[in-house]
Amino acid sequence: MSWRILWLLACWLPLAAHAASIDPGKDPVPSVMWAFYHKQMLGDAPFVFDDRVKLLAPPFAEDARQVPLEIDARAFKGEVVKILAWAELNPLPKIVDFQPLDRVLPWLSIRIRIEQATPLRAAVLTRDGLWHVGSTLIDAAGGGCTAPSVVRTQPGWEDHIGEVLGARYPRNDFSRLRVQVAHPMDNGMVSGVPEFFINHAELRSADDQLLARLELFPAVSENPNLAFDIEGAGQTRLIIRDNSGNEFDASIP
Amino acid sequence: MTQPARRQPFVLSLLLSAMLLSGQALAAVSDQDILQDPKNPEQIVTNGLGVQGQRYSPLDILNVDNVKELRPAWAFSFGGEKQRGQQAQPMIKDGVMYMTGSYSRVFAVDARTGKKLWQYDARLPDDIRPCCDVINRGVALYGDLVFFGTLDAKLVALNKDTGKVVWSKQVADHKEGYSISAAPLVINGKLITGVAGGEFGVVGKISAYDPKNGDLLWVRPTVEGHMGYVYKDGKAIENGISGGEAGKTWPGDLWKTGGAAPWLGGYYDPETNLLLFGTGNPAPWNSHLRPGDNLYSSSRLALNPDDGTIKWHFQSTPHDGWDYDGVNELVSFNYTEGGKEIKAAATADRNGFFYVLDRTNGKFIRGFPFVDKITWATGLDKDGRPIYNEASRPGAPGSDPKGSSVFVAPAFLGAKNWMPMAYNRDTGLFYVPSNEWGMDIWNEGIAYKKGAAFLGAGFTIKPLNEDYIGVLRAIDPITGKEVWRHKNYAPLWGGVLTTKGNLVFTGTPEGFLQAFNAKTGEKVWEFQTGSGVLGSPVTWEMDGEQYVSVLSGWGGAVPLWGGEVAKRIKDFNQGGMLWTFKLPKDLVAKH
Repeated sequence: MSWRILWLLACWLPLAAHAASIDPGKDPVPSVMWAFYHKQMLGDAPFVFDDRVKLLAPPFAEDARQVPLEIDARAFKGEVVKILAWAELNPLPKIVDFQPLDRVLPWLSIRIRIEQATPLRAAVLTRDGLWHVGSTLIDAAGGGCTAPSVVRTQPGWEDHIGEVLGARYPRNDFSRLRVQVAHPMDNGMVSGVPEFFINHAELRSADDQLLARLELFPAVSENPNLAFDIEGAGQTRLIIRDNSGNEFDASIP
Repeated sequence: MTQPARRQPFVLSLLLSAMLLSGQALAAVSDQDILQDPKNPEQIVTNGLGVQGQRYSPLDILNVDNVKELRPAWAFSFGGEKQRGQQAQPMIKDGVMYMTGSYSRVFAVDARTGKKLWQYDARLPDDIRPCCDVINRGVALYGDLVFFGTLDAKLVALNKDTGKVVWSKQVADHKEGYSISAAPLVINGKLITGVAGGEFGVVGKISAYDPKNGDLLWVRPTVEGHMGYVYKDGKAIENGISGGEAGKTWPGDLWKTGGAAPWLGGYYDPETNLLLFGTGNPAPWNSHLRPGDNLYSSSRLALNPDDGTIKWHFQSTPHDGWDYDGVNELVSFNYTEGGKEIKAAATADRNGFFYVLDRTNGKFIRGFPFVDKITWATGLDKDGRPIYNEASRPGAPGSDPKGSSVFVAPAFLGAKNWMPMAYNRDTGLFYVPSNEWGMDIWNEGIAYKKGAAFLGAGFTIKPLNEDYIGVLRAIDPITGKEVWRHKNYAPLWGGVLTTKGNLVFTGTPEGFLQAFNAKTGEKVWEFQTGSGVLGSPVTWEMDGEQYVSVLSGWGGAVPLWGGEVAKRIKDFNQGGMLWTFKLPKDLVAKH
């Protein structure tokens, strides 16, 4: 809902005049849900199906609880306001609301849960108020959202909540920050286990400048894996909050 | 029966609800709301219907003459597999009811329809250590937040409209045996909580937090020898050792694991500006390991709410050897004697004695037994200290694995346990939910191990009578006389409510919510809720009608520790429900 309000505030007025004239093009994946999600996630705002938003996922989910997903909107570098991702046929479809700010490229790697074969979407809002929707399909045997957590079967898991493993890997003109956060990411769909998931993360620089902001949802896998591409050097901090109010603060090279 | 006096509030409440419906912004809970509760009959914003915990409602639309017309308005399920052990008192603010369920859950429900507005489930670790079931006794409200304590000893603040976590603080380490089961309270802008864990050798403490952000403001340990602190700008400043120094009433290092957990929370008296908290048993149970009075175990404490300083204490069971926690609520009330107003406070202790104290200084005014059988003491001396019957203290084990066993009454679950009594300002009587039972108890050797039970005792609980354990009693705190009693087959474990309508409400493990004539004890109404009633009933006014709500859901300590008593209760079924009753408008006029 708040996405929609933001959208109205930020984007509706300037685009209203020529909204009708934008041709979204053909949906590259077969979907029975697009109209629903266009309304629910994007508030019926103007959009285009755009193959410049690359959504990379394996053709088949070998492990439906840990499906690697890469969202690449670097074609819109400098223009991106936010990136929303969802899995259309998941019972809890939302994956992430990613806002790359200073020095962070519009690229994100994340692992997700898949309940069944589904279209995946990443909608990139650019500064001109238009959503660019990247799409892909993933096949799956299924059950990734309702399978019990692996973490919880390990004794003492509570002691490790919020522990962050991470490192920086230099590329040519940027470096890739990869992290894994210990957290069960319980989505509330396993009987008797309430929702318990990281819902907010911030990446900050050593001088406390906000580099990126993420809202996370329970479609993200347990022990979330995240990767960001960052321009420039310097230590980073990852600040994490879960829906139980636990806060974690990790320094990463 | 006609009641012209009712007209005005009736119209006023209609007006109020019309204002609410027209979209007027709803007010946040203020310090004034809390201190004046339950003056505004449309809301209940304190645990205890007022900070003094009298559980007296000034409402009389519903009264002893028309209570037979009280009928269910709606019911709400605590759902799923987590039905058992519902012990909370609901709160009502702006037509929304807030309460906790077992397993550290919080619910917000539309008070008119029973429709669920939101639910918060704390994610508990696997190794929580509640001694006595997964219960919780309710929320506190302040500003736009709803507060409660969790079984893993956290204090959590939720947004009242969404149920989302605003902040969460670890009050103590659950791996040491700490948990929180009582409702916190907010006094003068401070959120105050106790902790549970006396069965694990924790060190009891009372802590105050900033309700806005969860910053710790002060902490007061309840065991002699431990330093208290106040916090300024995040820095801990020493504020005096509880009891002055270690070792005065404890031998050796035992004070380091002394228990005395204030697990039932507390109340507040605005007239003396004192927090009134009770403390639990000293650890371990085996009293031969800790000669001395073991302060401040099994005591009532009066604290300065600004910094947690102990202003006075009264120890009901010094050198407790029977698990006679002194946690039971100390209820402030005033009475006149010889033309002088006495600021008193009363408590019905686990140990079987009813105490009346001077709440300005903690001095003993009078005390008397409120159950039929007390064997551990022969009476109280002029200061209220028990005169022990030494034969009733279980023997030291010595080199044997087990010391000599003795039969003692009351049982360790107490002549009265956690379930709060009520004080009726019109009758001047306390309505005390009590139990008649005894126990065989013996001591064993024990060494402290972090997070493990630290008892050093064995026990089995026994009913004293074939036909009843529970007794709801009306007690005159001035004369010590029992004015009436109502027996119940199973042990009573639910809170009591009394009203200006000459009514007393309480529930039974058999599942009945019952109403009694406050003056005579005649049972005037009952309703079968489907499962044992352990909650504390409340009453309030909405749209000109008087409502009554209570949680139902059998569980709590009795089925876990029940000994021979277990036979009486083993067939009681679980079923977690919130029941709401009302007296329909057109039936008020009829009587």
